[in-house]
Amino acid sequence: MIEVKDIRKSFGDVQALKGIGFTVREGEIYGFLGPNGAGKTTAISIISGLLLPDSGSVTIAGMDIRKEGRKIRNILGVIPQEIALYEELTARENLHFWGGLYGLSGRELHDASTQVLEMVGLSERADDPVSQYSGGMKRRINLCIGLIHRPQIILLDEPTLGIDPQARINILGIIKSEVSQGKTVIYTTHYLEEAENLCERIAIIDDGEIKAEGTLGELTQLVGEKDLVTINGTFTSDQARNFLEGVAVDHLEDNMVRVLVSESSAISRLLERFFTAGVSVGEVSIKEPSLESVFIKLTGRELRD
Amino acid sequence: MRYILLLLSNDVRRRLRSPLAVILMMCIPLVITLIIGLVFGRSGTVELPRIKVLLLDKDQGFFGDFLASGMQQGELAEMIELVPVEEAVGLEMMQKGKASAMIEIPEGFTNDLLDHKQVELRITKNPSEAFLPMIAEEVTRTMALILDGGMRIFAGPVGQIRSILEDGRWPTGMDLQGMLDGARDRLLLVNDYISDSLITYRTEVVSEEEKEEEAGFNVFAYVLPGSMLIGLLFISEIAMRDLLREGRTGTLARLFTTPVEGEHIVTAKILSTFVITAAASVVLLLIGRFGFGIALGRPAPLILQLVGTILMCTGVITFFYGFLRSERAADAVLSVVIIIMCLFGGSMVPIEQMGRTMLRVGRFSPVFWAINGFKRILVEDMGLREIVPNLIVLYSLGIVTILAGAILLKRRVRRGGWSGSA
Repeated sequence: MIEVKDIRKSFGDVQALKGIGFTVREGEIYGFLGPNGAGKTTAISIISGLLLPDSGSVTIAGMDIRKEGRKIRNILGVIPQEIALYEELTARENLHFWGGLYGLSGRELHDASTQVLEMVGLSERADDPVSQYSGGMKRRINLCIGLIHRPQIILLDEPTLGIDPQARINILGIIKSEVSQGKTVIYTTHYLEEAENLCERIAIIDDGEIKAEGTLGELTQLVGEKDLVTINGTFTSDQARNFLEGVAVDHLEDNMVRVLVSESSAISRLLERFFTAGVSVGEVSIKEPSLESVFIKLTGRELRD
Repeated sequence: MRYILLLLSNDVRRRLRSPLAVILMMCIPLVITLIIGLVFGRSGTVELPRIKVLLLDKDQGFFGDFLASGMQQGELAEMIELVPVEEAVGLEMMQKGKASAMIEIPEGFTNDLLDHKQVELRITKNPSEAFLPMIAEEVTRTMALILDGGMRIFAGPVGQIRSILEDGRWPTGMDLQGMLDGARDRLLLVNDYISDSLITYRTEVVSEEEKEEEAGFNVFAYVLPGSMLIGLLFISEIAMRDLLREGRTGTLARLFTTPVEGEHIVTAKILSTFVITAAASVVLLLIGRFGFGIALGRPAPLILQLVGTILMCTGVITFFYGFLRSERAADAVLSVVIIIMCLFGGSMVPIEQMGRTMLRVGRFSPVFWAINGFKRILVEDMGLREIVPNLIVLYSLGIVTILAGAILLKRRVRRGGWSGSA
């Protein structure tokens, strides 16, 4: 359904995308997981036609984004990260305007707007100005606008950013419902649990590159059945290297070492070497195989960094 | 076309929902017009308040009364409020600045006049007022001259008054009849010189309503075009600024995710600027007509001049927005540009009063051609032929700047439409 090949994009001296490629199948939820500034929004902007790549190609439903942009935009529903609504207008007026741009009119437009308003539970507030809505309500209307014309492909750029858990559950429920109707979804997030629970396949993106791609199972295979253990303390990397013989080291620097261990006894043996040598250990964290441990292994940092 | 109409109606609807900025900008020309109009009066002349003059009559005689009653006749009575006072009260009122002047008629004024002795009227003026005491002084001088002339011409009849007054009574009708007969003989002697003047004049009083229609000069009509241009340029600026605001709030970027193209967005924004400016200008002219009594002249030249002016405002603002990157830049640049254009175009001070050099420079400001055209229609009731140069300048400039601005904006909107971060 969506085929992205080696797209690159720079803003001045900053390389936002360094040649990424992936394929999204019809009826699939494909997740982009990465920290802020990783390149997720740039990728979504290129797929939705807002930005042109410096190089590479994007094909959607067999159409090239450069040649048949308008046709493609008719079948895309884009939910941007920022809430892009006309606050002076009511929710219904917003929906009528955006729906009208997708060719809806008359009864069809009215029914479509009523349906999406019911879907997000805002029918009763439909005729209030958007400026009077809470942040969560605005997010839901922001979602409605991307769905009013019943697009085949939905691109969501962090749609749950900064909203309460209840509104998040509502939005995630709507996305699942859309997918159950055969829609194709690209979903960007920096919330691990959303990516784990929602997406069938996930691309981990950082620093403008896709570090890994696959199902949750395939990704966790990258760290195997091993726990990811991080030890923080007061030591040099040379000191620590003396204690790490026979241990799978993932990362080592002054005052921090990260290792992969398959059994808990290995952790106590490792710590014993530190203590015996009189090295001060401040904090030890253990992560079982998960998307988070995969992310840490691939990017060398936690998502919240 | 469908996209443009949808975008245009959305812009206009949003402006109607939050009209405060436009209303405020419409208030500027109305307030300026009102203030200047009130200062100079509807017909352009200053209407003075009634001048309060205190009269300290120490004489209490015939000629003192004559002088006082003379100041309370006809138009003088409308101009001067004469208040008889005692000396102490009069001085206190003058010290407190409660009157423009005090006239003191000295004791023995009547007798001295009858004896043909020189007499002196004393006028005390309020130093805190500039013009009103001078008027009071001038009126007193005129009354004194009349009295003096009368005393010289009618010396004989006046002699009879003296004997009557000395009898302790005031002249009766019969006494005056006799004196007038004597005066008549004197007048007959100078008849040839004062009768059948070769130059005559006639004063007619028309009703207030007719006066308004026929006055031909309404100071509001003179002031409104200039102040209206300031308002219209700022209203065009507010309307076009919406493009940057949409860029900031993300709706512009979102429009690019729909089948809409950049040229649709730019065209609709220029049209909405034109429509909003047009609506404001029509409202301002209607307020001018019904609020300030401005005669709007002939319809065809007025409509053509109005459309030309709106085109010019829309074009100039569109053109400048083609170069501006942010709302902050718009704030900094456009306010200055508009003020300079209006200043040189005669919005603030009529260009005719700024000298020949400024008149030449002013012609380079499009505002000059707009104001000049409106004044020709509203003040001088001129027709289409007389405003052809104005129309040529306004339409040419409007169309050229709109086209140039559209091309520049199209590039700007394409590039700057999406403000998403990596």
